[in-house]
Amino acid sequence: MGDLLDWIISFLFLVTLLIIVIYQLTCLADLEFDRKNPYDSSASINRLFLPEFGLQGLLCLYYVLTGHWFMTVLSLPHLFYNIKLYVKREHLADVTEIYNTNKWEQKKRVYKIAHIALSIFITSFWLIHSALGDI
Amino acid sequence: MNTENKGYPNFPARPAPASSPFASAPPPGIPPQSGGPPTGSDAVGFRPFPPSASQPIRPFAPSGPPPAPGAMRPSQPSPFVSQIPGSRPPPPSTAYGPPPPPPGAAPFQRFPSPPFPTTQNPPPQGPPQTLAGHFSPPMSLRPQQPMGPPPQSMISGLPGANTSPSPADFNMAARPGFQQSMPPVTQSYPGVGGSQPSFPGYPSKQVSQPPPMPFQSSQGPPVSSYPPHTGGFAQRPNIAAQQNLHPNYAPPTSNVQGLVEDFNSLSLASIPGSMEPGLDHRSFPRPLDGDVEPNSFAEMYPMNCHSRYLRLTTSAIPNSQSLASRWHLPLGAVVCPLAETPEGEEVPLIDFGSTGIIRCRRCRTYVNPYVTFTDSGRKWRCNICSMLNDVPGEYFSHLDANGRRMDMDQRPELTKGSVEIIAPTEYMVRPPMPPIYFFLIDVSISATKSGMLEVVAQTIKSCLDNLPGYPRTQIGFITYDSTLHFYNMKSSLSQPQMMVVTDLDDIFLPLPDDLLVNLSESRTVVEAFLDSLPMMFQDNVNVESAFGPALRAAFMVMNQLGGKLLIFQNSLPSLGAGRLKLRGDDPRVYGTDKEYALRVAEDPFYKQMAADCTKFQIGINVYAFSDKYTDIASLGTLAKYTGGQVYYYPGFQSSVHGDKLRHELARDLTRETAWEAVMRIRCGKGIRFSSYHGNFMLRSTDLIALPAVDCDKAYAMQLSLEETLLTTQTVYFQVALLYTASCGERRIRVHTSIAPVVADLGEMYRQADTGSIVSLYARLAIEKSLSAKLDDARNAIQQKIVKALKEYRNLHAVQHRLGSRLIYPETLKFLPLYGMAIIKSIPLRGGPADASLDERCAAGFTMMALPVKKLLKLLYPNLFRVDEWLLKPSADHDDLNNVLKRLPLAAESLDSRGLYIYDDGFRLVLWFGRMLSPDIAKNLLGDDFAAELSRVTFQEQGNGMSKKLMSLVKKLRENDPSYHPMCFLVRQGEQPREGFLLLRNLIEDQMGGSSGYVDWILQIQRQIQQN
Repeated sequence: MGDLLDWIISFLFLVTLLIIVIYQLTCLADLEFDRKNPYDSSASINRLFLPEFGLQGLLCLYYVLTGHWFMTVLSLPHLFYNIKLYVKREHLADVTEIYNTNKWEQKKRVYKIAHIALSIFITSFWLIHSALGDI
Repeated sequence: MNTENKGYPNFPARPAPASSPFASAPPPGIPPQSGGPPTGSDAVGFRPFPPSASQPIRPFAPSGPPPAPGAMRPSQPSPFVSQIPGSRPPPPSTAYGPPPPPPGAAPFQRFPSPPFPTTQNPPPQGPPQTLAGHFSPPMSLRPQQPMGPPPQSMISGLPGANTSPSPADFNMAARPGFQQSMPPVTQSYPGVGGSQPSFPGYPSKQVSQPPPMPFQSSQGPPVSSYPPHTGGFAQRPNIAAQQNLHPNYAPPTSNVQGLVEDFNSLSLASIPGSMEPGLDHRSFPRPLDGDVEPNSFAEMYPMNCHSRYLRLTTSAIPNSQSLASRWHLPLGAVVCPLAETPEGEEVPLIDFGSTGIIRCRRCRTYVNPYVTFTDSGRKWRCNICSMLNDVPGEYFSHLDANGRRMDMDQRPELTKGSVEIIAPTEYMVRPPMPPIYFFLIDVSISATKSGMLEVVAQTIKSCLDNLPGYPRTQIGFITYDSTLHFYNMKSSLSQPQMMVVTDLDDIFLPLPDDLLVNLSESRTVVEAFLDSLPMMFQDNVNVESAFGPALRAAFMVMNQLGGKLLIFQNSLPSLGAGRLKLRGDDPRVYGTDKEYALRVAEDPFYKQMAADCTKFQIGINVYAFSDKYTDIASLGTLAKYTGGQVYYYPGFQSSVHGDKLRHELARDLTRETAWEAVMRIRCGKGIRFSSYHGNFMLRSTDLIALPAVDCDKAYAMQLSLEETLLTTQTVYFQVALLYTASCGERRIRVHTSIAPVVADLGEMYRQADTGSIVSLYARLAIEKSLSAKLDDARNAIQQKIVKALKEYRNLHAVQHRLGSRLIYPETLKFLPLYGMAIIKSIPLRGGPADASLDERCAAGFTMMALPVKKLLKLLYPNLFRVDEWLLKPSADHDDLNNVLKRLPLAAESLDSRGLYIYDDGFRLVLWFGRMLSPDIAKNLLGDDFAAELSRVTFQEQGNGMSKKLMSLVKKLRENDPSYHPMCFLVRQGEQPREGFLLLRNLIEDQMGGSSGYVDWILQIQRQIQQN
């Protein structure tokens, strides 16, 4: 039963994370197609920096605490990448250069989405597996 | 170079000088037909050149939608004309001119005269000199080692040959008719060009043209040997047009067509018999004539805007992505929307009145000379998107028989590439702002000690009368050290009231208004303030600098209206938000991956402030004065993203730098400024501007926000092709700058330009413009240095040049044995040199010891904004010798360019008996040779001529020679008022000043770890040959 709860919680974490990153991606895409100005766009992206990075960190911690080693290992690259961005102080969208960095920022987020989607896929598998196993 | 009009006078069909298409246009009263061309549907009255069958590649089929005027010009002559590498204007024509050849042409006379055996019956159409050029040695050999039939060469080598009547005169006799009808051809003949003594100082001009090996065998009768000239044109599509125009010419024999190449080359093999293993670097191309604008193109499309406003990197746009990817040079443009115009060429101001501005409904293009009117004048077709628009009733005009509007001559927007349109209220989001100048002045101890405060106060006061926009101009001041001082300048006061705010964390304005006041109303208070400012703080011993809070306060004062913020900063910001650390010049960081971080803003505060300022139309100019590290990288960010600029006076002392600051600040305050501007470039379907480089911030993907812009700023941008294949034959570019003029009018400045689309890479190289390519490269390299190591930025430039030249080599390697020659198109002959100059420029040169970090960053910010001409001058500065000119009692010191010859930037140009001036537009260095006659030194420097020159002040001495030199210096400064070059005096051997001021800037020499010109060329050549 506890296992199922673990999976449900991590599933919720992941879905929130996915929504945040997708939202950031749409902001960047809006910018590219001139539907938004750089000020609003970068403000809304930067507002979500803390929730995104925080959630990701918490999720890793949660995996460690609950002893899901495989999932920990799977989410470590993402964590390290976030830490690296933070250390290099590239975690925030730079309003002055946002048009020049837009391509890269989008790419970055597409990779993040892919990674999160993979995690969601595995999580949902285990979620269903443990749910069925309990019956 | 001598491209102006040279290409055209021989075409009888041309109605008028190309550069002034409407000079011959009828006065308004006369129906346009009378002056108009009888043929064709030409929109502006050019008689189209008879279209010839051999123009298939030219994009201008007469059936094309807008029959581009001038498009039918018989090819682009100037590439040929400019084939003469580095030639100075006079030589080509004088060398052949009927009068006795001038002494300058003497070396040339070695080859021209050797007549063939067949000269007994010279056909008038076979210009003998082309033959002569044929046999002449210059090709791949040095003139001293003549090749070809030895006897003739020897004859011609004799001095007597110049005067001997037999062959030489004969040549001339045969020439005159030809000479008049075909001057450009004569000059353009590559072989002859190659043999010109282009650099007077370098008689042993080496190879410039590849050997025309193919002809060696085919040279028999003069007619068939004449082809080198036609061959030169053979790759041109419209050789037939040439033939039509010159019926007395024999038709080119086909076997030689296409065999003469149109590239230049440098032979890099060692010279046989020479002691040096290397090569003759004196023959390398050098831009000693300064920047050469691509004139041919301006003449071909006379309705294009002038190249001072818009310069494309190549005036031939590739028609496909694959072609564009083979063009390794940048594809783009450099735009200087408000470039200063010479007297008489002002941009016409147009008021559409109640009609409203005529723009395309779909793509919003402004009406321009390239739109076409159809449907008897009721509709017009947009040249950019081909949309058919209605002509408003008030704008309607009948068309004449040629489809040309009757009122064409009264409508500058239909005849001129550059116009200024008065914008109605739809173009305003708020009432036009008044010109606003706000000053943020550091008054800490160093500011008063160095005398900066006094100079600034005096200069501002002296400029009050000349600030643009009287009587609406507004002005305000904040000073700061560890606290902020606000000044109430209400007009009813007699003295300004000072208010001190000490709370730096939570800035508030002590007074809601009256911090920014109308200058004309509060004039006396402002003057009283400026008079007392230096006194107020003269005993200040505060060393802190609350720069960030002061900036915030200024932002709060200004954000209602915007304007220009001038910051005078004397030390590293040390208090409050935006305080900076002394990250300094740690040499250990260089060469590591963290190196670039030194060159970008340390605190995100600066970028954020800059972005906010741009949003509220505040443009920032930063003046930095400290001799210690001030973190220009961070401070300059403010200027970079608000469209401003950085002025850096390291170690400011009012006695030394006062003049410079005075001039530059005055220029900054009084030059015509465009306020709250946005700029956009539109271009035809299928292409898009993809990246922008310069000091500004992008507001949307293609909208450049410029809170304050003036004539000294240029912006570069790169193009990319969106469609794999362009189907149009031409591409149009339209720069539109919407701004508020100082007088309070909202205006749009529109520059329109056209460029053909080509399918041939060679044509792209032929139409390349080194100036704008170099300008783009410099910007790219500086940008790269903000995210990578200096080394990487330098290598990137080198790689780009190598790739471009390699592609060019591949283009020609199939047909020709190139051996170990470096080949390059005529248009790009200076590219390698400028590339090296970029690498050795202050922002990119060497390592930590070669330039201080602040100097680097300041120069980087400056170079990002410089217009093409100024940048080229900075990259390859002028060096000339003046002692001989000073001694000459000549009266012609008006014509400086003829008197003072630019010298190559190498130590060997310096003669220790001479006096030289080095001028890069930012400083003047007077170099006194060690053996310079003491009379000159005494005349120029007065009694302390023997002292160490760093302590000598340069001033007029009251004798003729000194006056002459001072007038020269004055003239050099007036040539370009945007910066005030300071004069430095240095004597040969005065180290380290000499090295620092001059020797290090002689870029052709080897210095430190960087290579000299010869090594550089060899390096490039080696890399090109590696596959």
